[in-house]
Amino acid sequence: MKDETSDSVMDGCLTLEGNIPAQGSPLARENEGVLIRRAQAGDRAAFDALVRLYDQHVLRLVLKVVQSPEEARDLYQEAFLKIYRSLARFRFEARFSTWLYRVVMNVCFDHLRKQKTRDEAQAPGANENEANFFNGVADGQPSRDPERALRSGEIRRRIERALTRLGPRERMVFELRHFQGLKLRAIGELCGTSEETAKNSLFRATQKLRLELSDLV
Amino acid sequence: MNCSEFDENLALYLHDELPAEQRQDFETHLAACAQCSDRLEETRRLHRVLGERPAPEPSPELLVQCREALEEALDRELSGVGWKTLLNHWSSALGALSPFPVAAALTLVMFGFSLGWTLRTRPAGIRPATSEESLVSPGDIDLNNFRINNISEVASGHKNGDVRITVNAEREMILEGSLDDSRIRQVLIDAVTGYDNPGIRRDSMEVLRRHANNPNVRPALLYAIQNDANPGVRLDALEAVQGMEWNPEVRQALLNSLDHEKNQGVRVAAIDVLTDHADQATLPALERLAANDSNRYVRMKAVSAIRKLQGE
Repeated sequence: MKDETSDSVMDGCLTLEGNIPAQGSPLARENEGVLIRRAQAGDRAAFDALVRLYDQHVLRLVLKVVQSPEEARDLYQEAFLKIYRSLARFRFEARFSTWLYRVVMNVCFDHLRKQKTRDEAQAPGANENEANFFNGVADGQPSRDPERALRSGEIRRRIERALTRLGPRERMVFELRHFQGLKLRAIGELCGTSEETAKNSLFRATQKLRLELSDLV
Repeated sequence: MNCSEFDENLALYLHDELPAEQRQDFETHLAACAQCSDRLEETRRLHRVLGERPAPEPSPELLVQCREALEEALDRELSGVGWKTLLNHWSSALGALSPFPVAAALTLVMFGFSLGWTLRTRPAGIRPATSEESLVSPGDIDLNNFRINNISEVASGHKNGDVRITVNAEREMILEGSLDDSRIRQVLIDAVTGYDNPGIRRDSMEVLRRHANNPNVRPALLYAIQNDANPGVRLDALEAVQGMEWNPEVRQALLNSLDHEKNQGVRVAAIDVLTDHADQATLPALERLAANDSNRYVRMKAVSAIRKLQGE
């Protein structure tokens, strides 16, 4: 049985640039269904093919959440291992992409919760991941203005620090709405919560960021 | 709409999530309230500041690393499942080991797949693992005349460093003996250099690294560094080499590995080993890496190793 609600939610997302894509065409979905069934029967090659269908988008998403290639790699692996372990329980009642991204969201949530606990237990310091960050992302244009680069770097650090001080749900909702362009309804679907809760999270996140970054605006 | 409601809806308005009827109320209030208008502008400025945040795109190298790491994790997952199943199946046999003073250091479980491993043993020495009689020592059987079909797990022991091996040849059985026993060691060496399951190769290596300087073990570990198909196994082999006595043979194996190693993580680990040993003969290879390696981090590591070598 196909879940029409899930479909419409994800299709709505696809109209926005930078959204999490589902594997949209009917043919792709039919092939995907075959792959899922084969993977559920223990076919490792079929599972690998499913991973290849989604993993670039998953990696892009987790990289935006954690901003560190090392952590992104860990989250990527944890998410796909969870998907592998629970694939047998997927019953085709929702779109596979919705189910998959929900697993990814949960992994991100758990990570942000742990990170927040860790950050609260430690004094704030320099971002140790920053040096490694640029090893894992595609090269951009080098800055020609060192002073501007320094200021940009400082602003980025402030933004990252402010984001890490949000609650995990606030952070995820803000990331997905503001930086990824997902509609709140889709975010609620992916995060296993209501659109109303997502709205409240967006409101609280905006309030906190405004306070944290008040001297920059 | 009052100022408080305006504030509650501000983020939704800017993110284009406010329903049409509320949007009209919002804009009516906005036109009439200077304070809320300032609030809106302040939030717009906040969005502009947030626009300074980089939007990182995963590099192809990162994607490859992720895929490789996932492959290895899935391999481990699959061997782990087999091991758990086997443990359940052989719980009675494993339980029977506890009264023995000899602690387990290795467990080799062999299933009924054919891999063509040939060791020799007296057939009478093979006993079913489902009974207490399944526990045998290498002295009880002739390992050189013993056909092993499959290995599903190798694990270190926890008591006195002796060895326990659970095997399935013609039938399942458990062997127990010391890692000092060359026949047991040879089983593990063969696993490291020829077995198809990377999980088994890693587990075998984990045990063998305690004997890394043994003249029979060392070539197997060096072989793995240069030839194993799995980057995780190659990494483990590099770790094992760290405990090895440094000599030209070891150095050459590392240099050969660096020449054709495709995985940047393994290249970095190899550079770390070279750095630890500060061997001047490795300088040309490090200089080549520093100048030509495709990965920026590897080049940085090579430069750092060269500086250390030059005493900077």
